[in-house]
Amino acid sequence: MAQPVITVKDVKIRYRYLKKISLIKSVFSLKKFAKTSYFEAVKGVSFEVEKGQILGIVGKNGSGKSTLLRAIAGIFSADEGTIDLHGNSVSLLSIGVGFKRALTGRENIYLSGMLLGFEKDKIDEKMDEIIEFSELGEFIDRPVKTYSSGMHSKLAFSISAILETEIMLIDEVLSVGDAKFKKKSFEKMKSLIKDRNRTVIIVSHSTETLQKLCDNILWIHEGELKMIGPTAEVLPKYNEFMS
Amino acid sequence: MKRFFSDIKKFGNYLVYSARSELKAEVAGSFLSWLWWILDPMLYMLVYSFIAILIFNRPEPHFPVFVFVGLNCWQFFSKTLKASVSIISANRGIVTKVYLPKHMFVLSKMFVLAFKMFVSFALTAVFLVIDCVSGNPVQITFKILYLIPLFALLFLGTFAVSLFVMHFGVFVEDLSNVITVVLQLGFYVSGVFFSLENRLTGDLAILGKILTNVNPLAFIMADMRSVIIGGGELHLVAFAVWFVIASVAAILGIKLIYNFENSYVKVI
Repeated sequence: MAQPVITVKDVKIRYRYLKKISLIKSVFSLKKFAKTSYFEAVKGVSFEVEKGQILGIVGKNGSGKSTLLRAIAGIFSADEGTIDLHGNSVSLLSIGVGFKRALTGRENIYLSGMLLGFEKDKIDEKMDEIIEFSELGEFIDRPVKTYSSGMHSKLAFSISAILETEIMLIDEVLSVGDAKFKKKSFEKMKSLIKDRNRTVIIVSHSTETLQKLCDNILWIHEGELKMIGPTAEVLPKYNEFMS
Repeated sequence: MKRFFSDIKKFGNYLVYSARSELKAEVAGSFLSWLWWILDPMLYMLVYSFIAILIFNRPEPHFPVFVFVGLNCWQFFSKTLKASVSIISANRGIVTKVYLPKHMFVLSKMFVLAFKMFVSFALTAVFLVIDCVSGNPVQITFKILYLIPLFALLFLGTFAVSLFVMHFGVFVEDLSNVITVVLQLGFYVSGVFFSLENRLTGDLAILGKILTNVNPLAFIMADMRSVIIGGGELHLVAFAVWFVIASVAAILGIKLIYNFENSYVKVI
């Protein structure tokens, strides 16, 4: 058996209904602090992803797909169970990484790269490639606040696509920007995904895209694993269930 | 704590780069905006001089230096705190996209503000020289080195308090209103532009003593002034007590953030 790159074991993720409280309202409210209630978004999911595999995650809205993806990215930890990435680097690709608006595009490339755990030298190495791919030209040295939303997403996409990590998590983002860039980013995405050294997890509602790209599909329903297996087996059942 | 130090090592580059570029952006943002790092405390000093000289009719000796030390420390503390209340939602873009230990936001803000504080502290030196030239000399001795531990205490204490403020700021939506009022009170009970001990005399002397002793900022400012202006001693026992308290608070704050940081993203 090929080596596992991601091992998810009995993962449960709960959202506490942590609503913001207001001191002034709680003084005047008789209920004071209401008891916190829990909502379990992921209810004990286990699976493994092998190196080079492309796994698609499907499920209806609110089934826990994005929550699971974020937990794998380390943005929040599982309340129970473990997620082991076996020492591999991971990045979550989604539109608009946390850019600092007052800083230039170039500075934001450094910051985003460092946030993803890259050394400055490595970012320097890839800098030209990122700038070229983003098609921003001299705008790269202007503050991000002067960018149009298209330029913004071009830059965000280029950073995540060029600074490659061993595990790539993609949340519904397969192409961005204008028509030309959309095509280019989709091609880039495809080549990144198809690279057999990289392990990819894609969350998407587009079964057509998943059909084209994924080896395996994990179907999650109301926080529980409903089915996992080859795309050809799982997707038709999912489509049938959803129709 | 081991995790905290390894995180500092891991994200140290990010921390320094982010603080540096924020300062650079401020400088590049508008013409001579860095001048405000000096002008700001300078103008405040004029305001407090006006109050102290015309209304109190009795400014402290070496007044500019006195006010500068107080103002610089106070602004560093209060600006860090004010920023910390909403620092998680201000960094929403990062919090929801990548994992970054949330202490880093506070540390990065502190770096920026500390740099500004040191720039305007340089002005204190200018005023010391002016005092000397104008026949009002100050005795500067090696005791000025006591400033180093005092700054360390200021950083540690500010960091500790800010961690708690950052944590509760996520869940309590009107915390910033409360913080503003508390800081306003803190400003007056810390003796930023007057000496608590000299002002609160007679029946109020005991209050002055209490305020100086239970308020770490009042302690830091008083000792900083004393080592700069008067060649005075550092109050070692009080310093040690505050340092231990600040360390314990910082450790508790760090643990609190590690325990809860993954739920922040669920709230904002």
